[in-house]
Amino acid sequence: MTNEGDSVQVYVPYPLRGLTNGVGTVDLHANNLAQAIDELNRRFPGMAYRLLDDQGRLRRFVNAFVNEESVSHLAPSDVPLHAGDVITVLPSIAGG
Amino acid sequence: MMAKRGDTIVVVGTRKGLFLFHSRDRKKWSSQGPYFEGDQIRHAILSPEDGKTIFAGITSEHWGPVVARTRDFGGKWNVPHEGPRFSKESGISVTRIWQLQTSPDGGLYVGVEPAGLFRSADQGETWSSDDGLNYWPGRDKWEPGGGGLCLHTILPYPGDPKRMLIGISAAGIFATNDAGESWKMYDAGVRWYGKKDVYDREDLGTCVHKMVRDAEDPAILYQQNHTGMYRRARGDLRWKIIEKGLPVSKSTGGTFGFGMAAHPHDGGTAYAVPLVGDYNRVTPKGAMAVLRTTNGGARWEKLTKGLPQNNAWFTVLREGIRTDTNDPAGVYVGTTTGQLYHSRDDGDSWRLLADHLPQIQSVEAGVFGG
Repeated sequence: MTNEGDSVQVYVPYPLRGLTNGVGTVDLHANNLAQAIDELNRRFPGMAYRLLDDQGRLRRFVNAFVNEESVSHLAPSDVPLHAGDVITVLPSIAGG
Repeated sequence: MMAKRGDTIVVVGTRKGLFLFHSRDRKKWSSQGPYFEGDQIRHAILSPEDGKTIFAGITSEHWGPVVARTRDFGGKWNVPHEGPRFSKESGISVTRIWQLQTSPDGGLYVGVEPAGLFRSADQGETWSSDDGLNYWPGRDKWEPGGGGLCLHTILPYPGDPKRMLIGISAAGIFATNDAGESWKMYDAGVRWYGKKDVYDREDLGTCVHKMVRDAEDPAILYQQNHTGMYRRARGDLRWKIIEKGLPVSKSTGGTFGFGMAAHPHDGGTAYAVPLVGDYNRVTPKGAMAVLRTTNGGARWEKLTKGLPQNNAWFTVLREGIRTDTNDPAGVYVGTTTGQLYHSRDDGDSWRLLADHLPQIQSVEAGVFGG
């Protein structure tokens, strides 16, 4: 559980910084990854659509890490966050 | 440089962004772009409603698909925060945009992968699902083609927003007469794969590649299918094979290809670019040819003047050939190797308009400002 004053940090990858006016890291309050994405979307409308598919899962080629651990395969609401956590969003190294 | 009213413009969607071309005389061309760098543009259109708005279906394999628009020839793009979505109950998610089409009542349709049809009443800001099609009772039996399970063709009926045909690879052709409330299949007459027999039922499902409407009578349709070339008019009980003068594939027994275009004014005139076959989807013998019929498919003629006749091994994809609205008509063909060819005399002769583009996935043309 994060407390008021605690925060997590989200790393926004380059292709999404058009939504954040170029900002690459965002500090916010959230108890889980779903809440973090909601908060990102509140500040930067459109962010949730870019990260989540129609079923609310992370898109197929979107990866998320909490600190060093991949959480891409989990439902965002099932990924707890704690004060000081660093969330890194990365596109899969894929394409042609 | 901004296009001026009356300029011919060509909108080219590629595997790596969108390119815009414009010309006063269709001899000297200016280009702009790429826009949406790195993203796939499977289809982009110039709205025939106002002749000004360009809609681009942007597919980011990472970050999802949206439909952007510009009203000043790429000066400023409006990119919505969201694209079309399937319902939570469906269990599926939109991954790619394949087709855009305006409708006579001012709406904008999008065809997506996995196969689905959505309509926007606000130029792509928000979308509503055509549930009659998207949750079609036989959907669980729809099989994808090589490019995926995609809804790639949307054909509204001029003057009647309730009527429409759509094509899905490889589920078949579907028709509605009630604005998408209900749909019926429309595949009778198409060949079985590799056989002389044709489907005698409408509902067996075929791999439609592209359909276009005749310029003078929109009830006449031309279809490039995986298994051949066909024509169907109102009242016909089935599609009829129209392949006199066309090459045929060894695997399917019919003409193979993807793209088709209708002449903008002349009834009975249509264009196609046949390929070797589904086992080798390139121009036959390394020589590029556009095939044209001027009599509703009774016979096709080969057009090669100005087109490469040696070492030309490429594919023309399903949105890769279009006409503009001029008289004589311009015809435009984009290749997977990045060449854009055009004719300004109904296809009689051709010139290279652009080279070294990324793989061309769609071509649309028209006159700016209507």
